[in-house]
Amino acid sequence: MIASNQTFIIAAYAVMWMVLLGYMVRLARAAGRVNAAAARSRQEHVKENE
Amino acid sequence: MSLKPEGNSRWLPLVSFGALIAAQTHAILTSPADADMGHLQKIMYVHVPAAWMAFIAFFVVLVFSLRYLWRRRENDDLLAASAAEVGAMFTGLTLMLGMLWGRPAWGVWWVWDARLTSTLVLFLIFVGYLALRAYVDDADQRARWSAAVGAIGAINVPIVYMSVLWWRTLHQPPSSPATLDPAYTLGLRLNAIALLLVTVYFIRRRYQIARLERAIEHAAEAAAMGGGR
Repeated sequence: MIASNQTFIIAAYAVMWMVLLGYMVRLARAAGRVNAAAARSRQEHVKENE
Repeated sequence: MSLKPEGNSRWLPLVSFGALIAAQTHAILTSPADADMGHLQKIMYVHVPAAWMAFIAFFVVLVFSLRYLWRRRENDDLLAASAAEVGAMFTGLTLMLGMLWGRPAWGVWWVWDARLTSTLVLFLIFVGYLALRAYVDDADQRARWSAAVGAIGAINVPIVYMSVLWWRTLHQPPSSPATLDPAYTLGLRLNAIALLLVTVYFIRRRYQIARLERAIEHAAEAAAMGGGR
């Protein structure tokens, strides 16, 4: 019984960290995407002005 | 125009995740076994703060949705949307952690009692809110509709909180430092503060990304209008 309880405790903490780190990765990817789009937008703006 | 870590964005993730590791370590190592549940009680340190963070995020949604409806400023809409995404994530996490606690404590993964059902409804409302934002192209319409859904959806938060008092439920009454044995209050407080820092970091970072996305959209619209002349 104690062993099975330990499994649920470990699973709960593991799930929490997976979700938090997963969301952090999602934010990092979104930041990378939006930075790339911003760089493209700047380059197009420079070309238009030339 | 770029999204580099600046100011407290640089240290906030380090401090918040460091604080969370320290708080969880403290809770796991020092918290005594509960008379009824034994060490299963340790799931409280992740389940209860996750639920509180969802409530806080939806309170931010409520405030900034109403502010958007009043002032019609784009940044209010973006902040409400950022908080809604983080709130939905924490609500989903709360449900998963609750199931992992419920299975060994009650013998079932899920039961349709008032607390669990109202939390699921809250989760679905904000998943709907995010789906609405993804499918409406017009920015003004998207902001108005999502502000209305966000403000109405946040009304469910007090219903979720009070559900264990209003109805007879399998779920226990609210856990808070006021209702807990003193042996558990410090651990709960530390974990709640650490997760609050993580929540602030997530909402802030999502908001920065949303603002840059919108700035790019505005630049593209301006370029398209300039090219059409």
